Amino acid sequence: MNQFSIVGKDVPRNDARAKATGSAIYTDDVKLPGMLYGQILRSPFPHARILHIDTSQAASLPGVRCVMTGEDTPKVKYGNWRLFPETQDEYPLAIDKVRFIGDEVAAVAAVDPDIAQEALSLIKVEYEELPGVFDVDAAIKEGAPIIHDYCPSNISVNRKIKYGDIDKAFAESDYVREDTFHVHAVSHAYLEPCAAVAQCDLDGRITLWTSTQVPYIIQCLLASTLQMRENDIRIIKPFVGGGFGGKMELRTWEFCAAFMAKKTGRPVKFTLTREEEFLTGRRRHPMTIHSKVGFKKDGTLTAKDLKIYLDGGAYNAMGPTATFLCGNFGAMLYRYPSYRFHGQHVYTNKPPASAMRGFGAPQSIFATETQMSLAAEELGLDPLDIRLKNAQVSGDTIPDVATISSCGFIEALNKVAEMSDWREKRKTLPKGRGIGIGCYSFISGGVFNWFNTQYPFSAAEVRAFDDGTAHLLTMAADIGQGCDTVLKQILAEAFGLTMEDIRITSADTAITPQADLGAWGSRLTLMNGNAVLDAANKIKAQLFGAVSARFNLNVIHEIECKDGKVYPKGRPDRSLSFGEAVAMAQKINRGEPLVARGYYTPRNKGLVTPSFSFGAQVAEVEVDQATGVVQVQKFWTAHDCGTAINPMAVEGQLEGSIQMGLGYALSEQFVMEGGKTLNTNFLDYKMPSSMDVPPSEVVHIETYEPEGPMGAKEAGEGLAIPTAPAIADAVCHATGYRCKDLPITPEKILRAKRDR
Amino acid sequence: MSLSHFDHYAPATLEEVFSLLQSKGPGARVMAGGTDLLLKIRHGALKPKYIIGLKNIRGLKTISFDASAGLTIGATALLAEVARHPDIVKHYPTIAQAARGTANPQIRNMGTVIGNLCNASPAADNAPTLLAMDAQIRIRGPEGERVLPLDQFFKGPGVTALVPLEIVTAVHVPAPPPNTGTAYLSLSARGKMDCTAVGVATMVTMTGKTCAGVRLFVGACGPVPLRAPKAEDILRGQELTEEVVEKAGTQASAESRPISDMRASGDYRTEMVAVLTRRVLREAHHRALAC
Repeated sequence: MNQFSIVGKDVPRNDARAKATGSAIYTDDVKLPGMLYGQILRSPFPHARILHIDTSQAASLPGVRCVMTGEDTPKVKYGNWRLFPETQDEYPLAIDKVRFIGDEVAAVAAVDPDIAQEALSLIKVEYEELPGVFDVDAAIKEGAPIIHDYCPSNISVNRKIKYGDIDKAFAESDYVREDTFHVHAVSHAYLEPCAAVAQCDLDGRITLWTSTQVPYIIQCLLASTLQMRENDIRIIKPFVGGGFGGKMELRTWEFCAAFMAKKTGRPVKFTLTREEEFLTGRRRHPMTIHSKVGFKKDGTLTAKDLKIYLDGGAYNAMGPTATFLCGNFGAMLYRYPSYRFHGQHVYTNKPPASAMRGFGAPQSIFATETQMSLAAEELGLDPLDIRLKNAQVSGDTIPDVATISSCGFIEALNKVAEMSDWREKRKTLPKGRGIGIGCYSFISGGVFNWFNTQYPFSAAEVRAFDDGTAHLLTMAADIGQGCDTVLKQILAEAFGLTMEDIRITSADTAITPQADLGAWGSRLTLMNGNAVLDAANKIKAQLFGAVSARFNLNVIHEIECKDGKVYPKGRPDRSLSFGEAVAMAQKINRGEPLVARGYYTPRNKGLVTPSFSFGAQVAEVEVDQATGVVQVQKFWTAHDCGTAINPMAVEGQLEGSIQMGLGYALSEQFVMEGGKTLNTNFLDYKMPSSMDVPPSEVVHIETYEPEGPMGAKEAGEGLAIPTAPAIADAVCHATGYRCKDLPITPEKILRAKRDR
Repeated sequence: MSLSHFDHYAPATLEEVFSLLQSKGPGARVMAGGTDLLLKIRHGALKPKYIIGLKNIRGLKTISFDASAGLTIGATALLAEVARHPDIVKHYPTIAQAARGTANPQIRNMGTVIGNLCNASPAADNAPTLLAMDAQIRIRGPEGERVLPLDQFFKGPGVTALVPLEIVTAVHVPAPPPNTGTAYLSLSARGKMDCTAVGVATMVTMTGKTCAGVRLFVGACGPVPLRAPKAEDILRGQELTEEVVEKAGTQASAESRPISDMRASGDYRTEMVAVLTRRVLREAHHRALAC
């Protein structure tokens, strides 16, 4: 294993001090002279035709500077799947129809928010109500209302995977079981609501500050929907208070802010309220999952047939990716000799579901893991053993996907069992207490180029200076996950410098190099990290040449950067300081600054991901037999993220994941009636608070990922997967109630007890 | 959404409060911590033109205790102050517990026990215990003071017995008789720090092995916190055996009238009234015997 100086150390986050002291500038903190305040008029109906909109009264209200509807726009549809334009199904403002309660119909900009609010009430919209569909079954029924004319079946995406002789494999299995699972929608509930501020300069170019995970995608899609050139749009991402997948598309307020800034010549700001976020915001896909699995008597997997319906809501959003990925996740953790998947993405008259931490995996793997535990019970095996028997190992190949280059899954299973005293507790815990397991595998970024970018997937620019410092420029978006810190660590390590020596400028599309696809799919550490290393290596090649010339070194000498110095390995006496080496290299180039760009695009890595993380989690619970209330006592986690570049940041990811998983398993859900979300505040949307999070212990399983920068792979989303299945398994161990429809509520536990 | 425009007054005497209420008319609202009122304004449910803050009024914040007279909590005494007041913690532990269990630290440092009562939510965390302890509410108007048993104060969700120009100045809790125990338990979907979906409070007074007196109140299971008189009848004059407690739970459950809403189904609430009733009775009984 390589010895690192800064990589692998608990380095405090770049943004920690600014956030803790309240000096961090978020989008809503951006205030520009003459700025107008925007508000959005939303549909009160889940499905209706727009017959007529009258904005005249609103426009004549004193203080109102701009009122716009879909008719004023260039009417260009957008969506992230540019490679397949038929999936692009959204307009910034509704043109003909509204398709969910909250669908955006018109926008107003005024000199203060109260006037804008009042103006909304003066816009008269005449609707013709249409029948709505609110779940998958109703949407795919013969004769169901059609939500998008182009898609009469309401099924907008079909995805199939097949390998091995599945019929033969089932026929030869000793044990086959079929189960149906229902998983529900939950909110990203990022603490910073969406916001955007647009400014138009005298040449008509747009600058947009926005709370986003994907500056480059916003730049491209804003350009196409405004019918402007990409280079005339500049996206700046200030500090972002969380995204979790909910801020990775172009959204109405970003378009409207830019459009209205151009039209009025004044800056325009939109900031959503928490109620708007809950009522209309993106969410995790509810899914209906039919899964059939076959085993040999000893627990060896033979086959899996997986059929998933995704309840996509009114638009595709990131649903196509979720449809692809939930199929890949269905066969990622264990070795399935034969596998068949059919995923269907279904339109309904509800707020669109989209990407959310885990991107199809929390749903798909909840079914996988629950079914593994069910099979273990029936086959008389310990749930741990059935997993150990089928676990992926390094070198395993997932057909049509990739070869797993590093995998610490078996080590994680054994470690988590030891930490939690699994075997003893599984036998001896009294009634009402239980212990359960959940496992995960996840991708370190995606390979499939659905955005159809012509740029590399990640890019970085590094400038080295003769004062011994370096400047890193990258479009990678730090949204609170900590990539600014991790990328600085990688560069500091590569150059042998300290964190204080590295300056970073990130996520400004006019300044940072083209391009980066954004913060999603747990891609930045591996992909942007590799781009940083590529740039660093190009600079180092020049420094090494300079050092070599300065000391007249034999060409066979290996040169390294360490402790602020550049020197031949084993000969630290012949060293230059980093700054001196830069000065020398600059002289060789007659004064040219020392600058390099680095890039990374995964190649020859199948269609899914260049590398996989793995892990296992155990939950111990106590269930109140009379009230059905579940208390999680403790979590133990062992996971493999390759080299943990910043272990403290990885633990932060784990803590956040546990909080999210706890809510997904036990308390969070949208209460909906006829397409309307009723619980639109944190009082009634039951996200766990810090007081609800139980203690947890973690062990990082050390592996070295050959494809990752300094051996690293993802640690962001994978950890959000195992918590719900682990809790569900523990609740079953404690009470006998096996949950197949999340969330696990006290009422379901008591009902199951009565039914027995 | 921003707040609607209002004028804010911070008078120093009750007399000024009444003269402001009189001169400003129905557009005026009094405010203690504002943790409920400002939310209602923000959501457009209330649009007062004038807000009269009570926090500058001398003496209104007082918490006083006397072994024979009992406990008085002033209108602007904070939830946090009630939660940690040494006399309350010692002599009225369940009142301290209910205050401590209300919302989160930030709210407890702004909000008041009286405000929680005047907001008249059926789920108010501080109501059931005070009701079980036979508290009285002190009301002042321009004409003078009147005192009302707390169980006559709540008239419906958000509605109290206050008439225009009146404000609550304090709640008074008598000194509990000897050999008395109290308990309050609540349930909600999130676990800690949440709005109560069902809550039950009781005060039990024992004479020897017999239950000499009992008051039992259920929160969040009706338009106002409800008393369960028939369940009390089952207990009064009896030894509190498991069988009697079991029966009282079932009876309290039958006396509650919960609705189904997004916080819990009516059926679950009904079932939990029985469970929580039994638990608070056992706990209060245990505490009464320990006195």
